[in-house]
Amino acid sequence: MKRANRLITILIFIFLYIPMAVLIVASFNTGKDIAHFESFTWNRYIELFQDDGLLNLLANSLIVAVLSTSIATVFGTVAAVGIHNLKPRMRKIAMTLTNIPMTNPDIVTGVSLSLLFVFVGTRMLGQRDSLTFWTLLIAHITFSLPYVVLNVMPKLHQMDNSLVDAAMDLGCTPMQSFFKVTIHEIMPGIVTGAIMAFTMSLDDFVISYFVSGLDFTTLPVEIYSYTKKPIQPKVYAMFTLMFLLIFLLMVISNLLQLGGEQRKTRSRGAASERSAGRIVKIAVAGAAALAIVVGCAIFIGNNGAEPPVVSEYTMTELPAGPEESVTINVYNWGQYIADGSDDSLDIIAAFEEAYPNIKVNYSTYDSNEIMYSKLANGGITVDVIIPSDYMIARLISENMLLELNFDNIPNYQYIDETFRNTSFDPENKYSVPYTWGTVGIIYNSKYVDEADVTGWELLWNEKYTDKILMFGNSRDAFGITQYMLGYDVNTTDEGELTECAQYLMEQKPVLQQYVMDEIFGIMQNEEAWIAPYYAGDYLTMAEENPALSFYLPEHQGFNLFIDSICIPSCAKEKEAAELFINFLCDPKISAANMEWVCYSTPISEAKQFLDPEVAESEISYPAAEKLIKASSYAFLNPETTRTVEAMFMEVRNSR
Amino acid sequence: MSKELIRLQNLTMEFDGERILDGINLYINDHEFLTLLGPSGCGKSTTLRIIGGFLTPTDGNVLFDGERINDVPAYRRQINTVFQRYALFPHLDVYDNIAFGLRVAKVPKDEIHERVTRMLEVVSLRGYENRKINALSGGQQQRVAIARALVNEPKVLLLDEPLGALDLRLRKDMQNELKRIQQATGITFIYVTHDQEEALSMSDTIVVMNKGRIQQIGKPEDIYNEPKNAFVADFIGESNILDGVMLSDYRVRFFGKTFPCVDKGFEPSEPVDVVIRPEDIDIVPPAEGSLTGTVASVTFKGLNYDIIVEVKGFKWLIQTTDFHPVGAVIGIRLNPEDIHIMHKSEYSGQFGDYSSYSAEYDELTEDAGDEEE
Repeated sequence: MKRANRLITILIFIFLYIPMAVLIVASFNTGKDIAHFESFTWNRYIELFQDDGLLNLLANSLIVAVLSTSIATVFGTVAAVGIHNLKPRMRKIAMTLTNIPMTNPDIVTGVSLSLLFVFVGTRMLGQRDSLTFWTLLIAHITFSLPYVVLNVMPKLHQMDNSLVDAAMDLGCTPMQSFFKVTIHEIMPGIVTGAIMAFTMSLDDFVISYFVSGLDFTTLPVEIYSYTKKPIQPKVYAMFTLMFLLIFLLMVISNLLQLGGEQRKTRSRGAASERSAGRIVKIAVAGAAALAIVVGCAIFIGNNGAEPPVVSEYTMTELPAGPEESVTINVYNWGQYIADGSDDSLDIIAAFEEAYPNIKVNYSTYDSNEIMYSKLANGGITVDVIIPSDYMIARLISENMLLELNFDNIPNYQYIDETFRNTSFDPENKYSVPYTWGTVGIIYNSKYVDEADVTGWELLWNEKYTDKILMFGNSRDAFGITQYMLGYDVNTTDEGELTECAQYLMEQKPVLQQYVMDEIFGIMQNEEAWIAPYYAGDYLTMAEENPALSFYLPEHQGFNLFIDSICIPSCAKEKEAAELFINFLCDPKISAANMEWVCYSTPISEAKQFLDPEVAESEISYPAAEKLIKASSYAFLNPETTRTVEAMFMEVRNSR
Repeated sequence: MSKELIRLQNLTMEFDGERILDGINLYINDHEFLTLLGPSGCGKSTTLRIIGGFLTPTDGNVLFDGERINDVPAYRRQINTVFQRYALFPHLDVYDNIAFGLRVAKVPKDEIHERVTRMLEVVSLRGYENRKINALSGGQQQRVAIARALVNEPKVLLLDEPLGALDLRLRKDMQNELKRIQQATGITFIYVTHDQEEALSMSDTIVVMNKGRIQQIGKPEDIYNEPKNAFVADFIGESNILDGVMLSDYRVRFFGKTFPCVDKGFEPSEPVDVVIRPEDIDIVPPAEGSLTGTVASVTFKGLNYDIIVEVKGFKWLIQTTDFHPVGAVIGIRLNPEDIHIMHKSEYSGQFGDYSSYSAEYDELTEDAGDEEE
């Protein structure tokens, strides 16, 4: 029995710590693949400290955490003292009220704070950007406060009240007696509370997500929108450092509590207390050292980066910029613009270099729908967005886009005919194509017989049962079925949709799972052999696993998506935004950008600057005759959207 | 005596509608050692906390040197307190605890050092300057607490059951110590205790309290010898309290017999409480006694025996050095000066009958034991 208990305890610890161990190991792995440890390297850490973007985000997170923790600790301690001095019944009520926000689901807190901020900011103060760094900070203070109160209260409770009387008796005013006596007695509670507040703030995603504006985001929020590219190994290195930091803080907090308890038992002897004190000191020193190292690295990293020389990177003459300095807010998909990593050109830095008077505030989203809801909720100013085709149609229909002034976008001339007069913006008034790509089938040529690769039906082939993946979103899943059956992908015919749902139901037994961005690892590691996905992402995967092939079912039709640059109606700096769009359309810039993003450029003129292997690739740039049956998704009416959603949910949830 | 320092006028205190203090009137002289004595819940600590400034009375006045100080906060009163559980600051060492008040008052460093050192001398704690509070014994902590209060040279020192947590031996030593310090410094001590023996041996003046009211104020001897009512008689020492009738001056009748006594000034035939201290009773052969009784129980107490004697259905406590076996018939002789007469009060009939061996009796014998040492 005893042995079994011990075994279970060990298993639980393994279960709890294995994920962290995997992450730490991965951060020292030379290979990008988590599953195979190739050899040991510090390179991930070096890469991390060279990545300004990531370090800035980390710095943002730390700034918010430190500020919110400091403020919450002060207010929380004061509040705890106030609550402690209430009559017992009122105290109980106050404590319950304090605890509720802690047990409240984060998402409820996040949404309600966001509503409040937008209401106060927009309606009462008449601001355009009501969601800013300050709202983020206020939110973090709000959810940190209860943790401080909760940790300080018991210490106040344990404290001998006559200590305060004694201090006053000896001449202290109430304020003096708090600082000279009470604070020393409750210090362990304050420190524990502060550490908890700090860790809560550092890793909060849900609440931050709803209350942050575009000018300032924290690390977790940004990482979440890393959807256009797989997470890079340097991120593992950063997580490892964060884990170590939090681990150290937790050790300190536990030792402090231990020290406090020992002091209470008194007789236990000063020796153990002293050793606990020493461990605390070591731990504090460790945490401080780690913080200093990270801080220095950020500092060095920031100074080490050399600004790009613009003249070398643009092909065209750029129109003159504004006289006054302005800031534009660019809201884009995560990992959807070259950022200087992997020897790419830092597009935003180059733009800022070209237009010293325009500062770019860059923030990201992870889906069209999230971007839409952020805009629709209000409270933020956005000057540039890059939505997909169907979302543009929707934004236009809801008057959420501004008409572009093409005088400021001379480089529009380079956009290929194919990408003008699109179904979603037939008069070319609102959008400038940014990238485009196709959806095809990625398959592993080691395991899949070429003879079977005949069309979308490959995804239904029982021969490859359990090795097939499928899109985890309704639109693409139905779209594939519609192409296979020869139906219109923008249909509202319920009969056709029901038939598609039946086909999807039949596909379920052969599927391994529904995926979105998890697909990278699964396909690269050959855990699955067949999956529909974007051509651009195929190129990223093929770099890791050359056995992967791409097939475009040109005879049946496939989705051709176009992500375009638009200016939403909440924009404040329209002209500067147009200059930014123009900059992105410079063929040389577009080429540099696409080399990193791995999607296709809608500017043929740009191909001359691309790696010829890419420029001539049939996958990135299929010949025009292959595109005859390709089509884009249009915006379905809400009712059909709901029907499709519901049908797909039913398919996914069925057994 | 010297001049008046503190006066409490009609002091009333209520908590949540419950009356804790009910019209306390009291004056305290400079250099006096005054003890507030009473059972727990009698209001003595509340009175002390009001004087210290930790509580504001519901009604009535606190005067200090003739000035009303009801609204003066604790930190501006020239009064310091020794708390029941010492309330030493655990994050400071002995020296810093004692220096605390002086530092708050921004006394120059040299002077602090000098005064703290002197105070350590007074409480015999030289060499303990840098000890942690938690590393001290109860008695040492007690002395630090006293030093911490006295170093500020207050006009008045309040002591709230300061010896309650100490064992008997230490308590005795500290009683002498406190008395010595009080006499040496000349500071007015207001001392709260429920231990009558402590009160009797240390105080200049004792204030006996019960149920929020003062029962009697007086010198220890007066309180012991001339208790004002059955409560005081019972609380201070031990007493057999009998119903009697004062026939005329110097003549009291109880148990169907008339006894000569030394009291006078009562109404003719006034019903009274008769107090007879157990140690004052002489045991004589039955024929020689004015009353006779049968020994119901005997308890050996070291110096003496506690004998319960049944006299006409009433049980007396008698303390004697001679042994009398259970069942023996003995005579009781009462001298006139051993009989104390009190007016009837609300406490009449509640105390002074040893008819049952109650917890109360046990408690009282414990105190009596102390007294005999």
